[in-house]
Amino acid sequence: MALIVAGLSHHTAPIEVRERVTVEPPEVPRVLADLAAETEAREVALLSTCNRTEVYRGEGARGAVPCVWSHLGSRLGSDIAGYGYVRRDREAVEHLYRVASGLDSMILGEAQIHGQVRDAWETSRATSHAVLNRLFQSSLDVASRVRTSTSVSRGAASVSSAAVQLSKKIFGSLKGRRAMVLGAGDMAELALQCLMSEGVRTALVANRTYERAVTLAQRHGAVALHYDVFWEHLSDVDLLLCSTTAPHVVVEREHVKQAMQARGDRPFCILDIALPRDVAPDVGTLPNVFLYDLDDLQSVVEANLERRKQELPSAEKLIAGEVEIFWTWVAGLAAVPVLRTFRSQMDRVREDERARALRKLSHLTPEDRTAVEHFSRALMNKFLHEPSVRLRAASANGHGLAIVDALRYLFALEPADGGSPENASPEDTPEAR
Amino acid sequence: MHERAFPVVVLAAWLRGAHVRIWLSLSRLRSDMMFIAHCIAITLYIAAAGLAAVPFARAIPAPVRGVVWLLSAGIAMHVLALADFVHVHGQPPLTGLGPALSFAGALVAITLLVVEALAREVSLTLFAAPLAALLTVFANVAGMVAGPEPDGIRGVWLTSHIALSFLGIAAFATAAGAATMYLVERRELKSRRFGAIFRFFPPLETLDRVNHVAVVAGWLALTVGTGLAASYALEYRTGHTLKVVWALSAWAAVTALTVGRVVRGWCARRAAVITNALFAGVVALYIAFRVIDPLKGRFL
Repeated sequence: MALIVAGLSHHTAPIEVRERVTVEPPEVPRVLADLAAETEAREVALLSTCNRTEVYRGEGARGAVPCVWSHLGSRLGSDIAGYGYVRRDREAVEHLYRVASGLDSMILGEAQIHGQVRDAWETSRATSHAVLNRLFQSSLDVASRVRTSTSVSRGAASVSSAAVQLSKKIFGSLKGRRAMVLGAGDMAELALQCLMSEGVRTALVANRTYERAVTLAQRHGAVALHYDVFWEHLSDVDLLLCSTTAPHVVVEREHVKQAMQARGDRPFCILDIALPRDVAPDVGTLPNVFLYDLDDLQSVVEANLERRKQELPSAEKLIAGEVEIFWTWVAGLAAVPVLRTFRSQMDRVREDERARALRKLSHLTPEDRTAVEHFSRALMNKFLHEPSVRLRAASANGHGLAIVDALRYLFALEPADGGSPENASPEDTPEAR
Repeated sequence: MHERAFPVVVLAAWLRGAHVRIWLSLSRLRSDMMFIAHCIAITLYIAAAGLAAVPFARAIPAPVRGVVWLLSAGIAMHVLALADFVHVHGQPPLTGLGPALSFAGALVAITLLVVEALAREVSLTLFAAPLAALLTVFANVAGMVAGPEPDGIRGVWLTSHIALSFLGIAAFATAAGAATMYLVERRELKSRRFGAIFRFFPPLETLDRVNHVAVVAGWLALTVGTGLAASYALEYRTGHTLKVVWALSAWAAVTALTVGRVVRGWCARRAAVITNALFAGVVALYIAFRVIDPLKGRFL
């Protein structure tokens, strides 16, 4: 059994290379068909995201790696082997498990890759069979387990999600809260998008250029405000997000102090993601005001990423165990066709010998002939029982491949037609037994 | 020679006595289900608090299920101990210092479990579970001896007053626990420290809500409990000055807090600070009264 992954990722190739090699979803079926035809591979799957393009191949891949390099190289327009990597067998399994779990991602533990692996599997269904199907399915299961049983995906990993995390630490849920966004640039829009997706009830957008505020507000179902009146609404909102390009402080202590008097004891969260800062630092000293700037959000992100890194050994241990389980299954799968060939070959020998014996014993009654038939079958089953049991046990223990080779050699077995893993019935697999 | 042998003889006699004492204690232990159940409950409460503290030391998710399981098992053992008290003494564990403290400990633990189930947070265990364990330890140190209890309607009247008053105090203690957590977490957030407290404490809003609900529930229970106590004292011409002063102080504290929260709109930091100040005042008053008048084995 050969399982190979060849490809490139953000670890090995710069973005200029990755963006040219990326295969867009509509192209995937054609690329897969080409790769399968060129290498006579029984199974091929393609995973292509902005950070990686990888080809997974199952049994029967001849000259798989050069073919992948030439295919991807043709997209790049030059030799690509220098940017690539190849993983085989156990390492290939481990690689996909790590990728699906986000351990190989640019941001450790990010969750988006889980969906991308699932999509890649769905798109590759036409060219993936028993081994790759099982590989991708188990990788998704492993990724889910890694996420639930370790903290490798916990905590915000971007500034906008850190802003949401901080707000939630004060207000619990953001559902039904009122928020105000100062500024109408890209960062403001991203933050507004984040807040709206968290269920913020009313969002107010204020910008020095009123038309830009209106455009942004209309795009996200918010309300636009004139810049010079936003103070009047400050006491009505729970969250203020500042992202203007003003070169000076926009929100002074006195403005917030007045708003806080009207708010009573209710906490007020200010997220200042502007550079230079929009909010005077002494605003944070007011009671019930929680002020965070870009540095604070960044330190939340860094603390979360550091904790994610600490979880790496636990995640890797879990993956190592799952790789062994998968590989045991693969080894068991390889034993099935050989075992079937072995038994059919022995049965042919038994049949020939029984026929020869009965020709010599023509005087036997039909009952005696039946007894001889039963005897020959029972004898063969007795002889084959122990080797079959031991081969299955060896497969289950991960030593099946070496014994399969020995069996093939000792009994001169040729792979039987239809003996490929794809044609193995479910009850032939080690687990079913 | 005789003088040299004397200490050995004394030691041997003491050891013989100690042996007898240990044997007696063990045989008492074997037969005293109430004591054993209390010990197990205390251990389980401390274990629950320890488990709730693990995420602060190691980067693991909060073990909610484990904490709830330990707490539930602790409550089950505690209830078993109190049931054994009822079985042995034929009266509820409300009169007498030991039984009353144990009952209060059980109420704190049950209130904690209810709050955790509603808020889906276990960090309050850090404060409330040791409190429940401490009350149970004091109960056993004081001795689980039943106080005098009247029969008939008078007994029911008294029992209802004590049970409701304890419920009110347990809710007040829970509110104080939530308020303490609020202030600790608020300090962390204001000073922009994003460590273990930031990760594992519930949001400020949740703690404030727990405080609000516990204050209102405590006020309702304490008002009815105090009302029953007042009517009982008037009807049977009974009462004790210190007891009346403390009970009225506790009720006044919870009432002030409830009025502040519900009518005046206190919330967040102000509510947390006032809750803690009032609860500390009520506890300090109780300790002062016990020092002035030991009350001879009664809670009040």
